[in-house]
Amino acid sequence: MNAMIDDETLDRQLREAAPYVDDEGFTARVMAKLPAAPREPQWLRAVILVGLALLGSGVAYLLSGGGRFVREGVIQLAGFPIWLLLVFAFGCGLVVGAFAVIVAIRKTPEVRDVARLRF
Amino acid sequence: MELTDADLVARVLVDDDQHAFGELVRRHQSAVRGLLRQLTRTDIALADDLAQETFIRAYKNIRSFRGEARFSTWLYRIAYNCFREDARRRKEVVGVDEEQWQAEHDPQTVDPGLRHDLMHALSLLPLHERTAIVLCCQNGLSHDEASRVLDIPLGTVKTNVLRGREKLKRTLAAWGPN
Repeated sequence: MNAMIDDETLDRQLREAAPYVDDEGFTARVMAKLPAAPREPQWLRAVILVGLALLGSGVAYLLSGGGRFVREGVIQLAGFPIWLLLVFAFGCGLVVGAFAVIVAIRKTPEVRDVARLRF
Repeated sequence: MELTDADLVARVLVDDDQHAFGELVRRHQSAVRGLLRQLTRTDIALADDLAQETFIRAYKNIRSFRGEARFSTWLYRIAYNCFREDARRRKEVVGVDEEQWQAEHDPQTVDPGLRHDLMHALSLLPLHERTAIVLCCQNGLSHDEASRVLDIPLGTVKTNVLRGREKLKRTLAAWGPN
């Protein structure tokens, strides 16, 4: 009779004896059978966003006395020096651009992973 | 930089990224199919069908994975449930089948060509001991993780591992040269 092996040796032999199961198209078969990801209809999202924007605009128009503040704002801006208007437009562009970059990073997994890299 | 399982799960959850799920399948298919082959006693076709069902269920229920356990542990639990449900569906009560199978496969009468074959010795163990050995000794799960996968008390897992090891050692020693 053989001497009995110890637990550690047995566990090691068990791990070594477990064969690696080659994929051989298994992953592809699974992927082909996955159900389509449930997504909310895109038109519904667009309708909600446009509807809320119109509603908000309407409420703002009514509460501002028929948009008087817009006219006054434009008249005031017209009195500003041209260089100040350019700086204001450039600043607005920077802020909008920064928001666009942030949203793009959040929506793009590849870019998000690169952004998470630590050097 | 290789993405972790948690990163890939996050991609599936946030972006519905099926490629990320494909990577998870590629990473874990060998372990899951290996486990199921042991549970089904090397019935490769059945094991692969159950493995496929395991991954499809995992995809459908991935929102219930909270990251408290390792992703592999969560997969093993689904795989084990698939196996048990299939056994019930076939009206093969696992305990009864095990007894019949073991009665027909006495370790002392094993084909000499298979002696020294550890995997064959493993397949001779009763299901509950075999499963505990495969999870804890082969796949490196802790006793606590195995008790969650199998949904049995921690003490039962420890007992099954202990008894399974002893039986394996005895079988291997008996098969050895005199």
